[in-house]
Amino acid sequence: MSLRLLFIDELRGYAKSKVMIVLWIGLPLLSFLIQFINPGELEGMPISFLVSLIVSSIGGTLSAIMLSTSIVSEKNRHVYELFLIRPVKRSSLILAKFLAVYLCLVVAVGISLSVGLIIDGFANKLSESLLNVTFEYLIMSFSSMAITCSIGILFGVVVSSVPIAAILSVYLGSQLSSLIILPIFFLEGLDPVILSLALGIPISIIVIGIDILLFNRQQF
Amino acid sequence: MVEVCIEFNNVSKSYKDVLALDNISFTIQKGEIFGYIGPNGAGKTTTIKIIVGLIKDFNGDVFVNRNNVITSKKKVQNLIGYHPQEAGFQEWRTVDHAFKTFGRLSGLRSEQLEYRIHEILELVGLTDVRSKKIVHLSGGMFQKLRLGQALLHEPEILILDEPLAGLDPSSRFQFKKVIKKLAKSGITILFSSHILNDVEDIANRIGILHEGKIRKLGTPEDLQSSFQVGNMIEIIVAKNTPLCEDIESLYKVDYVENPKANKQLIHLKSNVDIDLTVSQIMNLLIEQKCRIRSFNLVKPSLEQVYLKYVGSETE
Repeated sequence: MSLRLLFIDELRGYAKSKVMIVLWIGLPLLSFLIQFINPGELEGMPISFLVSLIVSSIGGTLSAIMLSTSIVSEKNRHVYELFLIRPVKRSSLILAKFLAVYLCLVVAVGISLSVGLIIDGFANKLSESLLNVTFEYLIMSFSSMAITCSIGILFGVVVSSVPIAAILSVYLGSQLSSLIILPIFFLEGLDPVILSLALGIPISIIVIGIDILLFNRQQF
Repeated sequence: MVEVCIEFNNVSKSYKDVLALDNISFTIQKGEIFGYIGPNGAGKTTTIKIIVGLIKDFNGDVFVNRNNVITSKKKVQNLIGYHPQEAGFQEWRTVDHAFKTFGRLSGLRSEQLEYRIHEILELVGLTDVRSKKIVHLSGGMFQKLRLGQALLHEPEILILDEPLAGLDPSSRFQFKKVIKKLAKSGITILFSSHILNDVEDIANRIGILHEGKIRKLGTPEDLQSSFQVGNMIEIIVAKNTPLCEDIESLYKVDYVENPKANKQLIHLKSNVDIDLTVSQIMNLLIEQKCRIRSFNLVKPSLEQVYLKYVGSETE
């Protein structure tokens, strides 16, 4: 009960944040503008692929920063006390944040991709092979974003300074999450979709488990 | 028969090497306004956090309405409303949204919640800012919001940690009025503060905490009467008129101070008959035709009592 309520609550909070406005409107608009300002630079790349590339890479990092800094700031301002004096599990607070931000990211990618597909459709750039590549890239991005978000939470839980949490999220969060793509380059014949799912889901679950464990041990 | 509401039995709590609470035991009775005073770092907030379940690793036993705060946490949470000293709110929330979230998390249903929010907004005086973002509220309104969220689920016990800190005199007055109103409705209140006048105004029993130990417990009157400052009489005469002379000649008078041109402080010896001495001094004043403006037997203030038990380490 409290997880559902907190999830809807967090979703409302994050959806109103400036970061989400950037992700939902700013980045698709930017990619769209690139297409019209300098289409030669894209070398025939479909706009749908470009926007999902931009949103998922920048979006993951931005979300990690948002998660880590908001948790640190809320810890420092004793926001959690008002939740924890009620029948609310600490794990629900963490899971609600993760799910809300992740859903916001998925929505951002969805908006970008839809806009891109519409533009590509009009420009007759859509082909089956390009759509397959875009799909593969999206699945890998979703796995990577899940890891980035869980690592963002980890920094938020263990760090007590907002700037340090932000720096760690930028430099370590996105780097660590990209590790799941590495085996593709070294192990031939692996399906990148299956591999990213096989690594992304368990790693995210393990990191969130660690987040909850550490959050449970904190004194408020 | 007096019903015990909150009970501390031999409770100790340490933070690494620092002993925050040192084997404290006390009870708070049902319907009481218990003023909990002590300097910064005395252990007030630690005591409170143990009651509300934010601190779990301590030694000893704490009961709220006979429910152990560790083993019956949910029951205790339903009984208690907590106004934290520092807790903030997420910036994007409006007053209305904060009340709705915390009301639902406290188990209130939608129809019940709407009515209750309306009631609380009226009580704490936030009706006009219901749709305002919390980040735009003044310090006084922010405190009212903290109080409001604590009252949403109609708790039997209200725990207020420094609720008047940082408020201007007018907001303090309003806040105290609300607390007194709540106490009249039968809510038990534990009220921590280092503003002694406020505690004196509101509390009907006081506990003085210092260095993790309860130094003194009792009603404000008990504390004042237990404080041996020696009996003292203050006489103020009309301006530019002579003070009473030869008071020191009375054998029950220890010594006389003249802090102002028209004011005398007469310190009496210990174990004197106050009534007899007062009548002797009055006779002397009449004989000398002193123009008396006021004549008072001085009682120790709560501040003096406090300083006696905690030394001069006030904030």
